[in-house]
Amino acid sequence: MTIDSRSAVSAGVADRGSAAFEGRAVGESWGRVAARSKVRGELQHAADEALRPCLDVVVTRSTRPHAEILGVDAARAKAVDGVVDVVTGADLHALLGDAIFTGPAFADQPCLAVGKVRYVGEPVAAVIARGRAAARAGAEEVAVDYRELDPVHDVDAAVRGAPFVHDELRPSVVFGDLAHLRGIRDTNVNYEYVLRHGDPVEPPPGSVTVSDEFWCPPTHHVPIELPFTAAWRDGDRLEILSTTQTPSYVRQSVADLLGLPLASVRVRTAPLGGSFGAKMYDRLEPLAAALAWTRRTAVRIAVSREEAFLLTTRHGAAVTGSMTADADGNIVAADADVRYDTGAYADVGPRITAKSGMVASGPYRIAQAHVRSRCVYTNKPSAGPFRGFGVPQVTWSHESLVDELARARGEDPAAFRRRNLLREGDVSVVGTPMHSADFVGCLDAVTAALDWESPLERPTGRYRRGRGVAVGIKAVLTPTISNAVLQLNQDGSATLLISTVDMGQGSDTIMAQIAAEPLCLPEGAVRVVAADTDVTPYDTITAGSRSTYHSGNAVRRAAEAMRDKLIEIAAARFGVAATDVKITGDGLVSTQTQQKASIPELLHAHFGARGTTLTTEADFRTTWQPYDKRTGRSPQVTEHWFAGAAAAQLTVDTATGRVHVEHLAIAGDVGRAINPALVEQQLTGAAIMGVGHALFDQLVFDEGQIVNGTLLDYQLPSIHDVPDRITPIVVENPHRTGPYGAKGVGETTIIPLAPAIANAVRDAIGIRFTRLPLTSERILDALAAQEEPS
Amino acid sequence: MTAALHRPRDLGAVLDLLAGTDDPMVFGGGTAVQILLKQGVLAATDLVDIAAVPGLADLVATPGGLRAGTMVTLRRMETDPLVHDRAPLLAQVYGRVANPRVRNTASVGGNIAHGDYRLDPPTALLVLDARVELSSAAGVRHVPIREFFTGFQETAVGRGELVTALDVPTQPRGGAAFSKLSSLAANDWPVASAAVLVTAADDVTREIRIGLGALAPTPVYVAVTVAATGSDDDAVDAALAAVEPLIDPLPDVRGGVGHKRRLGRVAVADAVRAAWTDTPRDIPREPREEASDDHRLPFRRLRRRR
Ligand SMILES: Cc1cc2nc3c(=O)[nH]c(=O)nc-3n(C[C@H](O)[C@H](O)[C@H](O)COP(=O)(O)OP(=O)(O)OC[C@H]3O[C@@H](n4cnc5c(N)ncnc54)[C@H](O)[C@@H]3O)c2cc1C
Repeated sequence: MTIDSRSAVSAGVADRGSAAFEGRAVGESWGRVAARSKVRGELQHAADEALRPCLDVVVTRSTRPHAEILGVDAARAKAVDGVVDVVTGADLHALLGDAIFTGPAFADQPCLAVGKVRYVGEPVAAVIARGRAAARAGAEEVAVDYRELDPVHDVDAAVRGAPFVHDELRPSVVFGDLAHLRGIRDTNVNYEYVLRHGDPVEPPPGSVTVSDEFWCPPTHHVPIELPFTAAWRDGDRLEILSTTQTPSYVRQSVADLLGLPLASVRVRTAPLGGSFGAKMYDRLEPLAAALAWTRRTAVRIAVSREEAFLLTTRHGAAVTGSMTADADGNIVAADADVRYDTGAYADVGPRITAKSGMVASGPYRIAQAHVRSRCVYTNKPSAGPFRGFGVPQVTWSHESLVDELARARGEDPAAFRRRNLLREGDVSVVGTPMHSADFVGCLDAVTAALDWESPLERPTGRYRRGRGVAVGIKAVLTPTISNAVLQLNQDGSATLLISTVDMGQGSDTIMAQIAAEPLCLPEGAVRVVAADTDVTPYDTITAGSRSTYHSGNAVRRAAEAMRDKLIEIAAARFGVAATDVKITGDGLVSTQTQQKASIPELLHAHFGARGTTLTTEADFRTTWQPYDKRTGRSPQVTEHWFAGAAAAQLTVDTATGRVHVEHLAIAGDVGRAINPALVEQQLTGAAIMGVGHALFDQLVFDEGQIVNGTLLDYQLPSIHDVPDRITPIVVENPHRTGPYGAKGVGETTIIPLAPAIANAVRDAIGIRFTRLPLTSERILDALAAQEEPS
Repeated sequence: MTAALHRPRDLGAVLDLLAGTDDPMVFGGGTAVQILLKQGVLAATDLVDIAAVPGLADLVATPGGLRAGTMVTLRRMETDPLVHDRAPLLAQVYGRVANPRVRNTASVGGNIAHGDYRLDPPTALLVLDARVELSSAAGVRHVPIREFFTGFQETAVGRGELVTALDVPTQPRGGAAFSKLSSLAANDWPVASAAVLVTAADDVTREIRIGLGALAPTPVYVAVTVAATGSDDDAVDAALAAVEPLIDPLPDVRGGVGHKRRLGRVAVADAVRAAWTDTPRDIPREPREEASDDHRLPFRRLRRRR
């Protein structure tokens, strides 16, 4: 594999010594924080931390997809040596009431099943024991008596009607916009978003329409670090150490569960070893908290790899889509009916349904669009957030359709897209204008990297070659809130308190850069504190590529406030006006008198002591205008847009059905790259993950049971699946309110990846695939069908 | 569910433990056993770790070939000049197992005793007609590898027995090739593999020996003869006809029966074509003389071809 990196990876602080430090931080490829300790295995993840003695918890899981729990017999489990206690959902329900039903959009998920199980693998009883082996042995001895109910596995069967996974809908009290769903019965559809833009008209003469049924299977995140939560009671407080991307959410959720003031719940994280959405909202925390609190003990839950597959998945999604172009090659209509399979619990599915529904027709100028997007319960493990937040599933549909539309018109797929793509200032079908979302620039960049205009060498034998392209659009989560507290230490180093969680995306590195920029601090001077709700201020979530923009803006404001404070102190010291003081890499300078003071000198003199701290804080909030219930449109549905593109050149082995990606070019408009090397790594990492989704990565179910939920069978891209050559391209159209123009980048290139690959396969062998992944079996089956005389 | 771990220091003690404990299990490289342990499905009462037993990791030349002690690692089989010299096909196949981490740990004896139908090394051992040495408190016996794989995840290793060595005859002159196809991620277990050796049956006929992996409940061996004057297409046709009745795939997430059968044919055709093409027009029929040390290529030049 080669990566055509345009930004050299920083060699780190050591190499900077020679060159004079210019005081620049933003736009530099500072070395990733903790890279060395990660490579050496020295970084402490949550489960590595030395904790007070904890009892281990292992849960007994449901063996039925849908059943009533008639009884739980824990006698044999309690007799296992080392087992301290066995707790059931009924036990917790008796103590905590309906508060044990939690969730970010619907309060529908109990940490232990109450009365009913809804998927194979659902926790039914928690075994608390001295040591994990005893807990595991105990969990195997818990006998559960079930009365089976008819299950529903297929998303479309679930839309049609009974059996129903939940007797009635339970939207969370927190969200006003879901209140109308409360108490609705006899449905598996827990949320529906509808977009209506323009009036349907007869297609004009000479127009072309393409339509198809698309399917993306559920997948799993497979972060290297397994989920882990420990919780203990400290007097009348509860402390939690957890692998979570959402410490602020978890604090609120646990406080609600136990009826505690927020100040009595402390949630701490350690650096995450990957997550991709797997460690968000209510995972292991409610159970750990409920057990630690009600049993007045310290517990830890360390799940196995196999259990991790059951905790959350990416939504499987079916899309029925169509698109029409007029005789001039303008897209005039698009239609999408989207069904997200959210499994047994809604989790954040309703939000995904709306956020992804609004972009289901793609980043195109379209006169008339209609989208119906539904979130559907089935008897499967609950689906939740996954890098891309549901958008890759609809992109699979619109980028396949656009490609077919271009081909039906006999047009180059890139040129056809270029004509129809949204430009700066255009209003999308959802009603919100475009800004800092250069789809055309991304498309041009990836096609140029592949030398798109030059003819492709197309062998006619066993190996066939093809090229494909796709673009993607996503809206950032809005409205949200970020806060930052900055402490400038007397010696010129700084401590940044934010609740953004570094999980490998590099936030500890770039937040330090954003804080350093106004203060002209050098690499290594700013330390970011790991999220700890006792210490670090509220942040909505670390997800959805929102941190660079939101936390970044809060950090920038805090750092600018700090700069202003320093200037004020220096102005007083120099006896000049504040407007006359500048900050440089060497400290503060009066442009009038040339007096100078370094930060350490200035603060030492100011406080009269060493080791002192100067503190500033700032917040950053975004607002939106809720979409119209009837049309699904809003003039401000999101704070900003993500724009990306991918182009692939590949070969298909027509004997084995294997796809080999020779060259993959990916681009994202990031507004401004705070750290170009880290941006390229995000573009590249998301793309490789997308290659997996395109070719083989999927959860396979049989009657509700995951059949490949171990790493012996679950397929991830290995080093041999990485394209021969990858070209990540950073496109920069600064956002007017981004920190230094920046926006996030974590999801941008996973969004168009699968259709780019499938479009290239289409180009190579002339076959359109509508179901992911494109396994060798699917490809050979399709080739065989192609050969059959029709 | 917890087993006692024993670390005997001599073979006698190993065999006593295998004979005298309730439900013993040999711990070789441990790459397969560790997975069972981790998944909590290990049934054994006693784990007998044989790493400390002297002599079990010896790899030596023998008059007719080579002898690998059970604890020789797969990585050593892949890289050792002796294996490259005496049985290059074998070195190539060991080099295609899993990944370097597994190959550095897994042992040749543990590999075959594992008995999985998808293993790569048996395909080469079958065409080379290797012999397995089994030791027990009752003595030593030898089982031809072609009789070793007795059923789905079943081998000829009996209760109380330990694989102590593999004897591999020197690879006969001729062409050889290995083809391994996975249907999902590139480094996944194969859904079809074939090791092929083309050698002289007599002056006018060639024997095509084929070892199949992943295509039936056990590794499978078959041989077919083809006129030396035949084309590579003739060789492929004959080989496909010979394997056809033996291919009996197990459907799973990697593909259905039809798909695996299809890939099996491709693996066989690719390997046979490569081996046939690689076969010199005149195959010297006399056995090769033993290579002396200074004829061996230095280790670095012996990297497997990709
Ligand atoms: C990630 C991964 C990928 C893999 N991919 C491949 C692949 O692509 N191709 C392939 O061929 N294989 C593959 N394997 C399997 C691998 O080759 C085997 O796990 C390995 O060879 C087993 O050897 P070991 O020494 O570690 O055996 P162990 O784990 O020690 O033992 C395996 C079995 O053999 C028994 N045993 C061990 N030694 C003896 C002995 N001397 N006498 C009697 N019984 C014994 C044990 O009791 C146990 O039942 C893969 C394994 C892993 C973990």
